Amino acid sequence: MKPASFDYASPATVEAAIEALVASNGEGKVLAGGQSLLPLLNFRMTRPSVLVDLNGIEGLSYIEDRGDRIAIGALTRHRDLEHSPLVASRLPVMSAAMRHVAHLAIRNRGTIGGGLAHADPAAELPMLAAFYDARISVQGPNGHRVIAAQEFFVDALTNCLEPHEIVVEIEFPILDHDGWAFEEVARRFGDFALASIAVSVRRGPSRLEDARIAVMGVADTPLRLKAAEAELVALALDDEIPERFSEIVVAQVSPNDDLHASGEYRGHLLGELSKRALRTALAQAERAA
Amino acid sequence: MNSDHRASPSEVLRPKNVGAPIKRTEDPRLLAGSGEYTADRKPDRPLHLAFLRSGLPHARIVRIDTAAALEAPGVVAVFTAEDIAGDFKPVIPFSRMPNYYATPILPLASEKVRYVGEAVAAVVATSRYLAEDALELIEIDYEPLRPVARAEMAVADGAPLLHEEAGTNVLIAREFSKGDVAADLGVAAVRVRGRFEMTRKAPLAMEPRSYTAEYEKRRDALTLYTSSNIPGIVRDAISESLSLPGHRLRVVAPDVGGSFGSKGSLYPEELLICIAARKLRRSVKWTADRLEDVSSSSQAFAEIVDAEMGFDANGVATSLQADVIGDVGAFSIYPWTCGLEPVQVVSFLPGPYKIRSYRGAVRGVATCKPPTGPYRGVGRPISTFVAERLMDMGAKALGIDPLEIRRRNLVRAEEFPYRIASGIIWDKTGFIECLEAAAAAAGYEQLRKQQAEARRHGRLLGIGIASYAELTGIGSRIAVAPGMPINTGSETARITIDSTGAITAAFGVASHGQGLETTLAQIVADDLGARFEDVRVIQGDSDEVPMSTGTYASRSAVLGGGAAKHASKILREKIKRVASHLLEANADDLEVTEGKVAVLGTDRAVSFKQIAKAVYSDMKTLPIDAREELTATYTYDPINGTTAAATHIAMVEVDPATCFVKIHKFVVAEDCGRIINPMIVDGQVHGGVAQGIGAALFEELIYDEEGQLLTASLVDYVIPSAPEVPLMDVVHVESESAVAGGFRGMGEGGTIGAPAAIANAIADALSPFDADVSVLPMTPERIFRLMQNAKFKAKEKSND
Repeated sequence: MKPASFDYASPATVEAAIEALVASNGEGKVLAGGQSLLPLLNFRMTRPSVLVDLNGIEGLSYIEDRGDRIAIGALTRHRDLEHSPLVASRLPVMSAAMRHVAHLAIRNRGTIGGGLAHADPAAELPMLAAFYDARISVQGPNGHRVIAAQEFFVDALTNCLEPHEIVVEIEFPILDHDGWAFEEVARRFGDFALASIAVSVRRGPSRLEDARIAVMGVADTPLRLKAAEAELVALALDDEIPERFSEIVVAQVSPNDDLHASGEYRGHLLGELSKRALRTALAQAERAA
Repeated sequence: MNSDHRASPSEVLRPKNVGAPIKRTEDPRLLAGSGEYTADRKPDRPLHLAFLRSGLPHARIVRIDTAAALEAPGVVAVFTAEDIAGDFKPVIPFSRMPNYYATPILPLASEKVRYVGEAVAAVVATSRYLAEDALELIEIDYEPLRPVARAEMAVADGAPLLHEEAGTNVLIAREFSKGDVAADLGVAAVRVRGRFEMTRKAPLAMEPRSYTAEYEKRRDALTLYTSSNIPGIVRDAISESLSLPGHRLRVVAPDVGGSFGSKGSLYPEELLICIAARKLRRSVKWTADRLEDVSSSSQAFAEIVDAEMGFDANGVATSLQADVIGDVGAFSIYPWTCGLEPVQVVSFLPGPYKIRSYRGAVRGVATCKPPTGPYRGVGRPISTFVAERLMDMGAKALGIDPLEIRRRNLVRAEEFPYRIASGIIWDKTGFIECLEAAAAAAGYEQLRKQQAEARRHGRLLGIGIASYAELTGIGSRIAVAPGMPINTGSETARITIDSTGAITAAFGVASHGQGLETTLAQIVADDLGARFEDVRVIQGDSDEVPMSTGTYASRSAVLGGGAAKHASKILREKIKRVASHLLEANADDLEVTEGKVAVLGTDRAVSFKQIAKAVYSDMKTLPIDAREELTATYTYDPINGTTAAATHIAMVEVDPATCFVKIHKFVVAEDCGRIINPMIVDGQVHGGVAQGIGAALFEELIYDEEGQLLTASLVDYVIPSAPEVPLMDVVHVESESAVAGGFRGMGEGGTIGAPAAIANAIADALSPFDADVSVLPMTPERIFRLMQNAKFKAKEKSND
């Protein structure tokens, strides 16, 4: 289990990194945290001609308050997000979700840009990007562009980046909500999710004014459930609402069977987590009122 | 929390070390990264091996082309079965068992491949990287054959044969019986039955298998460093296979990072690395990566058991019958044979219970998977799972409490020695004492109240009990594996005081995590009269003792410890004889303690160092015939061996929303005889139970219908980690055994009791659903299915 030989480049700027990728004719790979890439290299499931290491580039690791949104540099480590007071106060769902990201050693190394680019459908960061409608800034030989999260994730482990593009920054719009919850079930703490849901709401006097819902582990990409958001907002705030919400969410997904769980069980889990999540979010919103 | 119940402590003259919680001598080096494992060996300019492994489950090898690989950078040699055909004799896992077919151990697949992961060719290069690069250049033409992925498929009519010469896929068949089972079942007040399964499991030692063959040109000799727990058996087998006498083949097990049985057989790679080193006259290294370790080391369990138990109206189990089919994989293992695991299931099935009549039939069936082999507990985790589930099912049918039904069936103190229906004889052990101690420590009555209260609130709480007994420290009268011709009944200790006065105790047994360096030194220190810190223990080195096998089957405390006691006593007598000259005192008036010999009641004493000087260096002190060399060797054979037993009690809760199981309480009351080191005993119990939790809830090697392994990495093969292992209470019932020192073996028990206790607890928790807990591991998915089926059945009933 040793990688095939590859060249190594350690550029000092994003531009130089893109040049190195262009020079590799699509055979190069970007190294950020390396937490998914290195196992793939060792299994020889990927065999890049050159590894372009971004870790020598200054200024790609930051968490910045931009008023109605938080900007995060692509090389920001999971551990920094987990412990950021700014993230805790403005992106509370992200803050809660970060402790579910793998294990401590992996959170110390893994980066947000790498996590998004890897596009694992059962990983927290892609789900958070979908949940917050994040805008993903990428840079390539033809300049800079911004991609909406829902377009970024194409399939399991597949993003929409062009061959020589690099993720440089992600912007997360802040939700003007007063209650939220993040629920996840994994076989063991730190494992990939069997099912997970993030819910955030703004509560009005008799109904919800706004709702945001995303799920993962139940499809090939993380999903923001816009239709379910609209249905939830239309529901009366009575004792039945968690149960009805659960039915709404489950009706939106059709998870597949895999090694770890059947689609039916994943659907059951998602239904249970939906109830819990909505109860938590509503209780929080009530306290805030 | 631990508490000790000494049933009958014997008088030992001032024991200082045995029984004391001495910190392990091994730990400072192992925990600080200063240990030396096989992969840490640094022979002169070593070469590195990499194996090309079969990606097909069953195929004929038509052609192998290695020309391009030979030309690759850094490559020194490429080997196929054809290239090494004249360099070894196949190793045959022979057995006198009838109805057994012995498949040979071959270093590389010859003519056919029989499982995904079987080594077909080997590249030797100047680095592992270059060797792996060259593997990609080897071309193999295969003619695919139909795979046999399941045991049931293997015995079906017209099934493809893995070993055509055998004429069948049934490599071993055996039946045990006593009494008239049919008649007893016929008159039973209650009969309970089920089809039970424990799926295939990986032993998963932290250190993967690793071998370094160091070649000595000067005398065409080899030293094989191996991560083996049977270095003595490996030495003898390779010596025979390669026609190398023992003084030109040294086998050493240095620090070894766990085995759990996966390093307890001779491996094809072990043979090949020795062949390669001799052919190339160079030192060669290989360490399995995790993928290789999971897909080519021996695996565990993989048995389906159809069993039925009959009870009389008082809850006394009268009869038991079982048909076992074991999916043993593609080959027999050396030396244990493919009968080891499945045959033990039927030989231990009656367990610690006085069941009158018994019939147990077993078939071990070849499939396109790696061989099964020894795994902590061997056969008994599943025999205990089956017997304990049946015991609980009987209790439920009769309306008797699970604790009470065990009281009525366990062999009682006055009934030992007791021969159970399968023929095993239990010597006097605290069966009932363990049951009662576990119930007391768990607060059993209180737990039942707690459960009733929880159930009123709709919570699914369950309590499970498992009692078992095992044979440990087996002597020469019983074969560890059925019909096996090699001797596993004795071990040797050689204890020497050298000219500097230093004490070295050499053993053939080898530690792969048991802390034998500590426990054997504790025994030697007490019986020799030395200070613990002055005793150096050497182990796992074939140059140190003439014959050994290794550490397995919970034997080393009993056999190594017994040898240590006897050799120490012989040496102590020598020391006393010398000291009586030096002190001009009668040997009977001397006391040996703390590395000194003193005349009782006086302050006159000589140290071991002074004694050594008198014997070896200062030729004026002693008469010539009193200069006895300060060394003693003893080979100990406990003849029969001794029983060990325990009761495990688990309280679990099933979350109906997630279908996850949480273990709220886990209690073990165990009888391992006289305890040498309570910290080490606790550690062994904790580790064993953790593995038992893995078997009960998490671990499963999944092969698809084509024989492809789907759980080949630790992302997909799920083992319990720290948060999944609860705090445990361990209670020690120290009833001394009859062997030297009163010890009993105890390294495996945790893994034997835990799966059954947890399975019974889950069944109890799910009793509102009347669900069958008959397959382990009980994953959330399986619990979900059980609950869905129960809901479905309930609905159908209400619709009727």
